[in-house]
Amino acid sequence: MPNKNGSVYGLTILSPIIDDESATPSHDLQIREYLAKLPTGEESPFALAPGTHLCRLVVMDDVIYVGAPACEEHLHSKYLVFESNCDDDLDSYLQGLAASVPERLDAIWSHCVGYPGASNPQAFIDYMKACQIETTFYFAAVNDRSVTETLSALQTQRAVADFIACHQTVKPEQLQKEFTEFMAVLKAASVPRPGGMAPRRDIKTGGRNE
Amino acid sequence: MSKLNATDIQGFVLRGYNMPVARYLFLHFEDATRARSLVGRLLRKVTTGQRWDRGKPPNTLNIAFTHRGLVALDLPDAALLTFPVEFQQGMKKRAAILGDTGLNSPDHWDECWRTDQIHAWIGVNAQSPEALDVGCAEVMALLEETGGATAVASQDAAAVVIDGKPTTREHFGFTDGFGNPDYLGVERKSQPGQGKLMPDGSWAPLATGELLLGYADEAGELPVAPVPHLLASNGTFMVYRKLHQNLATFRAYLEEHSARYGGGKEKLAAKFIGRWRDGTPIELSPDRPDPSIAQDPSRSTNFTFGADPEGTRCPIGAHVRRVHPRDAFGFNSKLIDRRRITRRGLPYGPFAADGEAATDQEDRGVIFMALNANISRQFEFVQQQWIEYGNDAHLGNQKDMLMGNHGGRGRFVVQGDATTTNPPFLCGNLPNFVELRGGNYFFLPSITALGMIAMGLVDPR
Repeated sequence: MPNKNGSVYGLTILSPIIDDESATPSHDLQIREYLAKLPTGEESPFALAPGTHLCRLVVMDDVIYVGAPACEEHLHSKYLVFESNCDDDLDSYLQGLAASVPERLDAIWSHCVGYPGASNPQAFIDYMKACQIETTFYFAAVNDRSVTETLSALQTQRAVADFIACHQTVKPEQLQKEFTEFMAVLKAASVPRPGGMAPRRDIKTGGRNE
Repeated sequence: MSKLNATDIQGFVLRGYNMPVARYLFLHFEDATRARSLVGRLLRKVTTGQRWDRGKPPNTLNIAFTHRGLVALDLPDAALLTFPVEFQQGMKKRAAILGDTGLNSPDHWDECWRTDQIHAWIGVNAQSPEALDVGCAEVMALLEETGGATAVASQDAAAVVIDGKPTTREHFGFTDGFGNPDYLGVERKSQPGQGKLMPDGSWAPLATGELLLGYADEAGELPVAPVPHLLASNGTFMVYRKLHQNLATFRAYLEEHSARYGGGKEKLAAKFIGRWRDGTPIELSPDRPDPSIAQDPSRSTNFTFGADPEGTRCPIGAHVRRVHPRDAFGFNSKLIDRRRITRRGLPYGPFAADGEAATDQEDRGVIFMALNANISRQFEFVQQQWIEYGNDAHLGNQKDMLMGNHGGRGRFVVQGDATTTNPPFLCGNLPNFVELRGGNYFFLPSITALGMIAMGLVDPR
């Protein structure tokens, strides 16, 4: 199934943006303004709601034909594009969004045609699925694990590396004792919040080179 | 492709001069007309890539410009704005992209690099200090005579001398300068391991366009280059970085950590770099340095990492493995071939042999000069992704052990096996062994282009 790679789901949703000449500023500009101010770290709506590995929201104004001879053509509408790498299954993911951050979703999607609001979860799920297109191909930079499993694994990796770094010369009996204590603490530790573990990065282009 | 026109290409691009001393003069242009006349006079002295059939000259001279320098020379705007964005911006503005932050940020650079006054680089290499003085005196006389520029700074550099002989050692004690690639059409004694890896395991020269503008690169495209074509062709871009080395910190760190490492001090040092101090690749000789390998050009760069995926011989994060992963990323090294750079450069500052006292404050390091056709695709990619990040090597956000801007928080894993002399080991709290003290991006034009600049004949239309 092209929307899925292992247990990770590649979701693509295109929601037509309301075309209303009397709206000031226009609905697409209102979405842009809201998105530009959304927090990106632990407070991001997609970190507060469960199940998102990585997602992106884009306002697509039009698609420009590039080639010769030139040809002017337009989309029927402007679209809000929502792409998300999320944990399967889709219904529970959308349900989780509607339950955790309904005001945020409404602030974004209320500018889209036919949006029913997030207060009725089933209507929200039906709407999103009506706007869904097949993803066909996507890059999932995750190791076929859920968001929770990934966050726990990263926490474990970091903690074990720290433990090794400061125990390399410790005598075996002492090492075993401290390791047992360490494991108990690690097992009791809560899963870190999404969006909170990454170091602060100045570059928001994430590796793009210019 | 046929042989390149070596008489039109600056010699610095085509070969490492392998001369023991050098001085880099940094010029500021006051007046475009006088500056162009200076370029015209210097042009006659510029060392080209022509073969030295009658032996090495006593000294050489090469020249390159910053974008601000080209502006000061009054190149037409229509040509100036066709240079790649990163070159127009200069290295200081690229600090965030390059990871030149914290201790490496422009605030900590030498005075001359904190402003934008440097317009040109003149590199004089020489066989002796006397010949160096003669070469530089000629430049200074021309500066005076033409009034074309003032020398706002200069940097001396010299091969480290051990037992009276110039060597290729750098200040941490490692033999340097193995890894320059071969390019199609560049006449050079080539050796296996220096070009690109072919599917049959042999090595072939890289496309000329990875080094020189105006030729096809590894993608079969012409590199992004300014117009007119004649201004760009046979030229290249140079990255200049003054890298200060914290020798006392390096020694203390190695001493402290090797005391806990089962393989011993020299082996840990070799694990950091991927070569023993004499240059022997640890991939080929994991237990001891072997001069018969280090000094044999058919072996010293002739290795791959494919048989060592776990890094038990050469750690995955070892410096040489990071900056030239060879076959380590698979796909017949195709992911590597467009990220290669040619390094020139020499150490600067007093050498302190092992056992001699040294501090971090003493002014010593290496002048790193990299030549590439595309700064953003080649140097900047290597710096950003392979030096200051680790994801391509599956090392998360770890940085290059040697060059990384660690700020005291870096980590380096020495992979190992079950033997007592090659145990796994973890180095934590890495400090900055190397700190950036300044630099910039330069355009190194062809002889033809230098003539066009000197005569004010750059016509982008």
